[in-house]
Amino acid sequence: MSLISCDKVTKIYKMAEVQIRALSDIKLEIFSSQFVSFVGPSGSGKTTMLNLFGCLDKPTSGDIRVMDTDIVKLNYVERAKFRGEHLGFIFQNFNLIPVLTVYENVEYPLVMVKSLPREEREKKVLSLLDEVEMLDQKDKMINQISGGQKQRAAIARALTTDPKIVLADEPTANLDHDSAYKVIHLMKKLSRKIGTTFIFSTHDPKIVKEIDIIYTLEDGVLVNRQEKK
Amino acid sequence: MNNIIKIAFRNLYRQKRRSFLTIGIVAFGVLAVLLFSATAGSFKNVIIGEITDSMLGHLQIHAEGFVGALDNLPLDRTLDAKQIKQMENVLDEIPGVETYSYRILFGGMLSNYLESTNAKFSAIIPANEDKVVPLLKERLKEGKFLKKGEILLPELITKGFNSEIGDDIVLVATNADGSVNGQSFKIAGVMESVMGPTGKYGYIHFDDAKTLLRMNKAQISEVAVRLTDFKALEKVKAELNEKLGTFKNEKGKDIYEIHTWEDLSPFYNIAKMIDMMALFIKVILIGIVLVSIMNVMIMAVYERTKEIGSISAMGTLPSKIRLMFVFEGFFLGVLGSVIGIVVSLIAIYIVNISHLTIAFGRNSNILLQPEVSLAQIGLTTLIVIAVSIAAVMEPAFKASKLEPIKALRQN
Repeated sequence: MSLISCDKVTKIYKMAEVQIRALSDIKLEIFSSQFVSFVGPSGSGKTTMLNLFGCLDKPTSGDIRVMDTDIVKLNYVERAKFRGEHLGFIFQNFNLIPVLTVYENVEYPLVMVKSLPREEREKKVLSLLDEVEMLDQKDKMINQISGGQKQRAAIARALTTDPKIVLADEPTANLDHDSAYKVIHLMKKLSRKIGTTFIFSTHDPKIVKEIDIIYTLEDGVLVNRQEKK
Repeated sequence: MNNIIKIAFRNLYRQKRRSFLTIGIVAFGVLAVLLFSATAGSFKNVIIGEITDSMLGHLQIHAEGFVGALDNLPLDRTLDAKQIKQMENVLDEIPGVETYSYRILFGGMLSNYLESTNAKFSAIIPANEDKVVPLLKERLKEGKFLKKGEILLPELITKGFNSEIGDDIVLVATNADGSVNGQSFKIAGVMESVMGPTGKYGYIHFDDAKTLLRMNKAQISEVAVRLTDFKALEKVKAELNEKLGTFKNEKGKDIYEIHTWEDLSPFYNIAKMIDMMALFIKVILIGIVLVSIMNVMIMAVYERTKEIGSISAMGTLPSKIRLMFVFEGFFLGVLGSVIGIVVSLIAIYIVNISHLTIAFGRNSNILLQPEVSLAQIGLTTLIVIAVSIAAVMEPAFKASKLEPIKALRQN
């Protein structure tokens, strides 16, 4: 059974008198443990696609089922709960909380979303920080670490609730090539190890080489699906 | 919850200068309220103490209609022997009453053989009066306190007559039947005038007044009452009203009327005005806290919109986002209150050790001894915290209602 299924999904943004068709009639299926990317030029609809999967936005028409839930029908609070329960997010600008340490940032979803007891949280957070090789940086504040380290901390935070799906919007856009390469490899390694589906958007051709399944979008239309054998 | 509190507290460090300024403004408001309340309260208590302890007593009992006709000092509106007895029974059974003293108030004409003037007098039993109004003796500007055959003259009359201690003076008065009688007195002392209905009265002995006014039976115009606890004034007054209210005359009207210092002294209006000013300063404090904290929190929500979007995307429920901002406002209020209280206590201590005095009316040496009660501190803190939370509600709700996708798009 598919993890995500889209059928005839269209998204139109209304800006004053102008209508912008961000996505047109998208139909696709994504399965568990896949390493998927949406590629395409700016304005092709990559971020919109991820926002729809992440229950951050609703389509103008069409159906989206994520983990067998019709997410289009969920209300504001139900969407928040669904995100907390099943989804992880990695942002282009990392979006870590600056007043918390690296450890506390990774711990944040376990406290605010999952409400796990302290011992379990500690075990989980230390294990993830170890996975992303950030254990030695755990007590540092966010402004004391590099961009690559921030994104690794953000990956650990996204995985801390054991989400089935991690959505990453241009996760390497603010990183140098070396750091970007390391981050992608880390995500791929974790995807294989813990079985989490990573879906991200990128237009970096060097990164695209590492992807298993590539969906190409152009002007909101899905023009190609490419799967590495 | 601990994490929400931790994040909320650490958020204060993001804009240190702004947080410090807001806390400073709140602290200044708390200082203004507490220092004014303590100082004005001290002034009020000193004046009330002087009025009640040097003249009026805590409350007074008269025959019905006497106070309304106080300018005439009517000798036909007095309490007779039977009424005195039943009133004594009531006073003796109320535990809040410490002691009481009888007075006869009357008007007369004074003459030093060269000139004469009208004056008003209070005839007292010195030993009893000393217990009810212990500061009365302190009003003696010169001379000594009262004995039979002596008179204490108001200072202005003494000056006008060019009289001295030991001089003889004649007091002429009309009694309740309309007959006039005169009696010679020796000037024993000069009384300082104070604010209030009997503040410029002269004093003679109770027994002398009975002779002068040819009172054959027991008769009094005023009973000054001292309470064991001044704070129980309203309670004792209510008790007296209830118990004395059962006694009616043949027309079915009350025999007694009871008044506290508030009913009798014009200073009550000044005291009320001081209370109004204290209230006004509290309203200003509310305004300061409301505007400063709301302003800071609106800015905080605006600046952290993207962050709110990301924590919302992670699945943080709107109620938790709201709570985070509420705690932030709460901390601003609490820190402002604590600093304000500490600074206020230091300021009050400094005023106390400085022995500051102010002038009021004829009293030019009122020593300010401000003190602040725990209740005042508690109430002020409660107001600040409640207003801080109220001020943060709008921005907190706005933050919790942000659509994550729109919030994440903000630069």
